[in-house]
Amino acid sequence: MNPVQQFRLEEKGVRFRNPYFFLRILLLAFFVFTPFMFRSFEVLDVVLKIIIFSALVASYDVILGYTGIVSLGHVLYFGIGCYSVGIFMGNLGWISYGHLALAFLIAIAVSGILSVLIGLFSLRIRAIFFAMVTLAFMEFAFILSSQLRSITGGDDGISFKLPGILAVDYSIGHFLGIELTGRILSYFLILLICMILFLFMLRFVHSPVGRVLQSIRDNEPRSIALGYRTYLFQVIASSFASCVAAVAGACFAIWVRYVSPDSSLSVSIMLDVLLMVIVGGMGTLYGGIFGAAFLMVTRAFLPKLQVLVGSILPGVPMAARLSERWLFYFGLLFIIIVYFFPKGIVGTVQEFFSKRRTS
Amino acid sequence: MNMPHPPIIETKDLTIRFGGHLAVDHVSLQIPPFTFKSIIGPNGAGKTTFFNMISGQYRPTEGKVFLKGKDVTSLSPAIRTQLGIGRSFQLTNVFLSLTVLENVRLAIQSQKDIGFNFWKNYLSFSELENQAYEILKMVLLDTKWNVPASGLTHGEQRKLEIAILLALETEVLLLDEPTAGMALEEVPSILELLKQIKNRRDKTILLVEHKMDVLMALSDSIAVLHEGRLIADDTPEAVSKNREVQEAYFGGGRARG
Repeated sequence: MNPVQQFRLEEKGVRFRNPYFFLRILLLAFFVFTPFMFRSFEVLDVVLKIIIFSALVASYDVILGYTGIVSLGHVLYFGIGCYSVGIFMGNLGWISYGHLALAFLIAIAVSGILSVLIGLFSLRIRAIFFAMVTLAFMEFAFILSSQLRSITGGDDGISFKLPGILAVDYSIGHFLGIELTGRILSYFLILLICMILFLFMLRFVHSPVGRVLQSIRDNEPRSIALGYRTYLFQVIASSFASCVAAVAGACFAIWVRYVSPDSSLSVSIMLDVLLMVIVGGMGTLYGGIFGAAFLMVTRAFLPKLQVLVGSILPGVPMAARLSERWLFYFGLLFIIIVYFFPKGIVGTVQEFFSKRRTS
Repeated sequence: MNMPHPPIIETKDLTIRFGGHLAVDHVSLQIPPFTFKSIIGPNGAGKTTFFNMISGQYRPTEGKVFLKGKDVTSLSPAIRTQLGIGRSFQLTNVFLSLTVLENVRLAIQSQKDIGFNFWKNYLSFSELENQAYEILKMVLLDTKWNVPASGLTHGEQRKLEIAILLALETEVLLLDEPTAGMALEEVPSILELLKQIKNRRDKTILLVEHKMDVLMALSDSIAVLHEGRLIADDTPEAVSKNREVQEAYFGGGRARG
């Protein structure tokens, strides 16, 4: 047996004993028990958005961090997922499990086909061109969704109801001290779907194709000289990520039961996704979870600083005025993270541990 | 030179122009299979450009490239690699963030039929890693298999480059200055490696170099490029005695140009 085989065997032996494995279990346990631990809807809402955005950001990471392609229109597919559910449930009013499943399938199909077409058309040329083309397509979809009032409800968007156990007024009784409403069941359904998406992505980046993608990110001309038609691999990566984003979008629609151009297709969501990837760490997949958590938690709770400071220091106008500027503190936090974690939270921590192990 | 086999690589009037500059000027060259041919010439003679046209990075302005009698002039570099032309680069060109083993494994993977598999773990194809490890042993990098390529010395990276090239298992190996930028004490190990490959006589090696002494012992034949033109193509002994080559190579070039 050569040293490589031996190393792989040892690796396999400690697969369920290494700290990363426990961290994953812990993370999953946290998400599973969140509805039982926190009664407030606000917390549940934030945690669920972290879950959905983790999947979305990880899918963006497959393109940006693993393949090295810059897309500025990834949220387009998220929006397709949102609108697919919104149009079926709201506009057409076909509220049934079958149609919900169909909405998912159509979202995946449309995203897959569209991203292959965009990829074939624009990935051949330089990277910056792909970034611009994807941005243009997203803008185009944004305008379409706000103009086609009869289909998309225009700027007002579409509110809708969901079938059976996912409906808001549904309840199957109490369990572990909480009422299992349609909301809670939606939460678990979305958690399950996002977990499956994550497993798919992990498998994808560790497959032979995934390894070629990493070689393209490192050195595309070399990869070509190895005989890989890198262009086809880039198209595969981008369409895979787009399908994942579409499913994440459909989940988002299930949670908020409402779609509008601003909440599902806007450039500001794209910027959020970019921030999350950078904060979490590119080329790590798990970075998506931490990036999404950072942004969602600070967004949700920094504005509350004012209330908190107001209750601790009543009648100090200076403190009140300072605590109003939550966006400023958000910016400060972001700079601190980028400064101390140049490879993102997960990337930098991984590097730290792998250095310690070898030294 | 007598040629028992038809040439594996043949160029006919290969020419490339960059703007007004004629970088390679009607070079016709035949490389018989399983031989070791070197292409030499002063800096700027067009050696690397000539290489880039054979491996497909550049398209010639004029002329054709044949691989085993088949016209490959219009094929992409990726396809040419699949057909049997592998190359290494003058500037070290490896995947820096990937491990040494992974660099070689990716080269082996490209030869297998699993390129588009995205549903299985890459480690489940364990024979690829084993093959990669065997190749690393050949180039004496086996102890560093789990180090990222960025952690290797320059000389080691050159060796890795050759390992990648060997892993491609192409019939033709194009080596662009394999000893470039290497510390002097590292050069002999590369030459030893080239000698081993040559002695197996199952590859055709085409090598660009500008240090003449490196090649005299290794090459079956040497082609000399000067200012884009082929001025000699003969055995090492004959080339070193060639008057035109001496003029071009050992300083005469400046007086002529």
